Amino acid sequence: MSFLSLILKNLLRQRVRTILTVIGISIGITTVVALGVITDSLKATAGEIIQLGGADFMVAQEGAADLAFSIISEETAAELAKRPDVERAEPALFHIVRSGSNPYFALLGREADDVASNPPQLVEGGVFAPGSADEIMLGKRSAADIGAEVGDIVRVEDRDFNVVGIYETGRLYEDAGAYAPLETVQEMAGRQGVVTAVFVTAAPGSDPTTVAAGIEADFSDLATIANVGEYKKVDQGIQLLDAANIAISVLAVGIGAIGVMNTMVMSVFERTREIGILRAVGWSGRRILRMVISESLLLCLVSAVVGSALGVLATRAVLLIDTVTCCSRNTTSTYLFAHWWWRWWLAWRERRTLHFAPCG
Amino acid sequence: MSEAPAALSIRSLVKTFEEGRMRALDGVDLEVGAGEFVAVAGPSGCGKSTLLHLIAALDRADKGSIIVRGKDIEKEINLSRYRARDVGLVFQLDNLLTNLTASENVQVPMFEGTKSAGERRARAEELLALVGLTGKSNSRPSQLSGGERQRVAIARALANDPAILLADEPTGRLDSASGRRILDLLEELRETRGLTVIVVTHDREVAARADRIVEMLDGRIVTGAAGEEGVRASPQAVQE
Repeated sequence: MSFLSLILKNLLRQRVRTILTVIGISIGITTVVALGVITDSLKATAGEIIQLGGADFMVAQEGAADLAFSIISEETAAELAKRPDVERAEPALFHIVRSGSNPYFALLGREADDVASNPPQLVEGGVFAPGSADEIMLGKRSAADIGAEVGDIVRVEDRDFNVVGIYETGRLYEDAGAYAPLETVQEMAGRQGVVTAVFVTAAPGSDPTTVAAGIEADFSDLATIANVGEYKKVDQGIQLLDAANIAISVLAVGIGAIGVMNTMVMSVFERTREIGILRAVGWSGRRILRMVISESLLLCLVSAVVGSALGVLATRAVLLIDTVTCCSRNTTSTYLFAHWWWRWWLAWRERRTLHFAPCG
Repeated sequence: MSEAPAALSIRSLVKTFEEGRMRALDGVDLEVGAGEFVAVAGPSGCGKSTLLHLIAALDRADKGSIIVRGKDIEKEINLSRYRARDVGLVFQLDNLLTNLTASENVQVPMFEGTKSAGERRARAEELLALVGLTGKSNSRPSQLSGGERQRVAIARALANDPAILLADEPTGRLDSASGRRILDLLEELRETRGLTVIVVTHDREVAARADRIVEMLDGRIVTGAAGEEGVRASPQAVQE
């Protein structure tokens, strides 16, 4: 009999309690994993928005509570395009509408020239022509969702569009949406003369970070976003999401930890006779502590595996919901490892709650 | 007095409880030779179990010394090591771990040693064979009779080859036939392995099997402390 098999036998002696403890901890881990994966996915999606058209960074209105509320005048966008260290500055207007089963269909208003000069990878058809008002390019995912092909007429928010092309960028937000002429989208959104953001590509030989800093220095009402970490300049949603994630995670982990501690303390108090026998046959206090801690660790390990697996399953289930699907990439979270280490730290802390007064 | 070197030497042992109000042992002196079978007898409350517990290092004395294998265990810091290597304990209740098999119960003390899992298993099989339980290795305590459980407990007590086997009323809960088998086993172990056996008992028959009866009263040894002649004589000396 190995020490590990002894630990296992001890846990299996109280099967119901062990199973209930594992379930309790697993639920906590499931919550944390699922929340983490979804948050990660949303952040990944947000990160992709920054790179519309292959840009180095995005320029939006400084201090906007949400990117959708950002307003930049077309004149300002034009000034950005004229900067010597900027190769391209593409204005875009984000207009979120409902289309089919997707309540968050992203209709991106773009200049035809910008799309033509830097086209996305086309799956079928081509780009909308300059001056066209009712032509649309669908992302591959949205085309599949609404069952549209090139040449079809699709209705977006009470307006009919002729599908001239289907594209695929690999970026979820764009592939689940569509490109349409900027003027048309401005009209639909009631935002004539303004755009949501400008997507900037630095000139060859220019450092994008320096270019971004220069823009922020010259335009006090603009913020540049090069990565998800800078998103909070124009969108508080990610921060709130992170804060909620941390709060709920701490709560879930705390509840799980209490569950483990309760089980182990109960287990120790119920096993005073057994512990006495072990001491009588020569076990040291340290070995007994090791046994109890090992039982706790094994419980946590099993719970971590079960909880993580359930978390991934729960995430996949949540991602089937259209509202989430449109905005979240189906990614695997690195939280798995983070939470395993968190659990091990908690089990180490538990040994301090067990006090033995051996007679030697 | 036995000619063999003393396996156990106790000097002026004192143990009190309730902050000194109750004197369980009042200056006990005792010598037990290697390979001796000693029965400690006396009325309830005379201190015989307390004496056994102190020899087993389950508690510490207030004064005095207990010397085993040349070491005063009252001065030892690591008493768990002493319990693992120098003494084996058998209780009135077998005190086996119910979720483990007979073999696994015997292996439990061996975790404090350096044996591998395979070596522990082999040693457990050997000990179970020694106590006449070949074929019962995978039986759980609930599947064994009282006598068989007590034999597993004896095998467990021998796991780390102790110098002294301490037994507190080992036949107390057994029928007479099982009790006799246990005593036969203890005698056999003493003869074949040179084991020193100290048994606390109320039982005349058990005491009669001992080389020497140590009688206690009110925390003191009345007779038999140092193998006085004639002490083995009469079982009637054992007070029930």
